[in-house]
Amino acid sequence: MNSIQELDVFNAFHEVWDNCSSESGSLEGMTIAIKDNIVTTKGTTTCGSKMLDGYKSPFNATVINRLESEGAVLVGKTNCDEFAMGSSTEHCAWGAVLNPWDITRVPGGSSGGSAVAVSAGLCDAALGSDTGGSIRQPAALCGVVGFKPTYGTVSRYGLVAFASSLDQIGTFSHTIEDTARIMQVIAGYDERDSTSNPDSPPTFLKDLHSPFKKLRIGVPSQYRGENNESAINDAVTDAIKTYEELGATIVDIELPLTDVGISTYYVLAPAEASSNLARYDGIRYGHRTSEPCNDLFDLNAKSRAEGFGSEVKRRIMLGTYVLSSGYYDAYYNNALKIRRLIVEEYKEAFKVCDVILGPTTPTVAFKIGEKSDPVSMYLNDVYTANTNIAGICGISIPCGFSKEYGSPLPVGLHLQAAWHDDAKLLQIAQMFESTTEFHSAKPDSYS
Amino acid sequence: MNQTEPESTLSDDAVRHVASLARLAITNEDVTNAKKDLTAIFAHIDCLKAVDTSKVEPLDHPTELINHIRDDEPGNAFSQEQVFSNAPSVKDIYFDVPKILGGSE
Repeated sequence: MNSIQELDVFNAFHEVWDNCSSESGSLEGMTIAIKDNIVTTKGTTTCGSKMLDGYKSPFNATVINRLESEGAVLVGKTNCDEFAMGSSTEHCAWGAVLNPWDITRVPGGSSGGSAVAVSAGLCDAALGSDTGGSIRQPAALCGVVGFKPTYGTVSRYGLVAFASSLDQIGTFSHTIEDTARIMQVIAGYDERDSTSNPDSPPTFLKDLHSPFKKLRIGVPSQYRGENNESAINDAVTDAIKTYEELGATIVDIELPLTDVGISTYYVLAPAEASSNLARYDGIRYGHRTSEPCNDLFDLNAKSRAEGFGSEVKRRIMLGTYVLSSGYYDAYYNNALKIRRLIVEEYKEAFKVCDVILGPTTPTVAFKIGEKSDPVSMYLNDVYTANTNIAGICGISIPCGFSKEYGSPLPVGLHLQAAWHDDAKLLQIAQMFESTTEFHSAKPDSYS
Repeated sequence: MNQTEPESTLSDDAVRHVASLARLAITNEDVTNAKKDLTAIFAHIDCLKAVDTSKVEPLDHPTELINHIRDDEPGNAFSQEQVFSNAPSVKDIYFDVPKILGGSE
C-alpha cells in the first residue's frame, strides 16, 4: 500500500503523520485527517497561512483528545483557505488544492483539503470547520458527506478563531453512518468552551437506520434560483422525487431572506475576523518582519502585512470598516438585526417542516482561477451562510452528477434542520443514502 | 448615535485609515486594489439597506444559551518554556520588542 504522501497528488495535506498508533474504542482504526486550523501538539498548525508557518501548539483541541481516546488514527493536517477564509482552497499559502474529480477544478473551500482527502480515498474521514459553508460546500463539490452541527454541539476549544459566533467544527465522510460515529465521540459539553451546549448530546446512531415517520420536507422557492446550473436543479428535483417515493410530504415554503443572507454574512464574519485576527501581532507567536521597525505599531503593521495573504487582509479591512466609528450602526448593527430576522424566518419554517431541502451550491466545481473577483467567490455560499447565521445544523450529501463539462462533477443536496435536531437530520439524510448510490461513486483517481 | 451614510466609493484616505486601524502596512498598489475590491463588496452589501429593521433588536449570537462559566480553580498551566516556544524573539523571561517610548532609536 502506498503512503498518503505518495498518493496525495492533489495537495490535500500540508503534513502527513506516519507511525500512528491506535487505542481501542468506538473509532478504532478509523483514519481521520484534521483541517490545519484545529490545533494539535503533533506537527504544526498553520491555518494555511505564512503567519503561522511552523507554529507548534502547546495543547490539543478538545476534538483531538476525544478522537484519540476512542481509537481514531489521525493521519495529518489538511490544507485550507488561509484562516478558513475562502470557497475554493486557492487562498492557501501552501498552494491550491485540486479536485480529484477534475484536477483543473477547485475542491471548494475553505476545508478543501479535508474534502479531497476523503473524496480521493486517502483516509476514511476528516474534520473541518464551517463558518458560512466551509464544510458543506467542498463536500458538495467533491462528492462526499459534509456535516455542520448545530452551533455549540462540538467544542471549539482549539479551533483557531475566525468568526466565533459562526464557527463550528464538523465532519467529512463517505457515509452518514461514519459521520454519526464520529459525532457521537466529538459532540458534547466542554468546560473550555463557554458556548458549548451543556445538555447531553443526542444519540446519533440509535435511530439512524429507521425511516423518519411522517416526514415533512420544506422546499423554499428561493432555492431554485435562476443562477443555479440546470444539472443542480435537475438533481434536486430528482432528490425531491426520491423523498416523495419514501413517503415524505413536500411543503412549499418561503425564505425571502435567502438572498440578503450572504451580504449579512459578509458584514458579520469579517467584523468578527478583524477582532479575532488582531492577536497576530508579531510578538508572542506568528510571523515577525525582519524589516527595521521604529516602534510597536510599525512592527505590528509590517509583520501583519507580510504574514497575511490578500483575502485575509481584505476581510480584516472590511471588518474593521464596518465596525469603525460612524459605520457601526449602518453596517454591523444593521446586520445583527437582519440576523434576528433570519432566525425568525427559520423558526417559522420549522413549524411546518422537519428539514429544509435545496442545493448546497448554485454550481458544480469551477475552474481554478475562474472566480478572480471576491464577490463572485462569495456567492458560492448563498445557500449555506444562513445556516451559520442562525446557528442551525446542515448537511450536504451526494445527490447526482453534472455531465456538462465532460468528466462527471458531483452535485450536493443540502438539508437543514432546526437547532439541536442534529440526530434527526442525519436520520433523514440516511433515508436518501440508503435508497441511492451516489455516495458510492468514486473519482477515477480514488486510492 | 452617530449615523453616517456609507460611501459609495471609498477614497484613498479612507482605505489608508482603515488599514491603519487594522494595523496593516499598505503600499500604494495595495490601496488601489483594496479600493476596487471593497467598493465592489460594499455595492453588494448595500442590499441590506432595503431590509426594514426599524423595529428589530440586534442579535449577537445564534443560540440563546447563557454563558457557562467554569469554577475558577487552578488547572494545568503552560510552562514558561511552552509559552515562549513560538515567540519570534525572547530575551531572558520576556517577549522582546522594539523600543516603543521616546521615538525611534
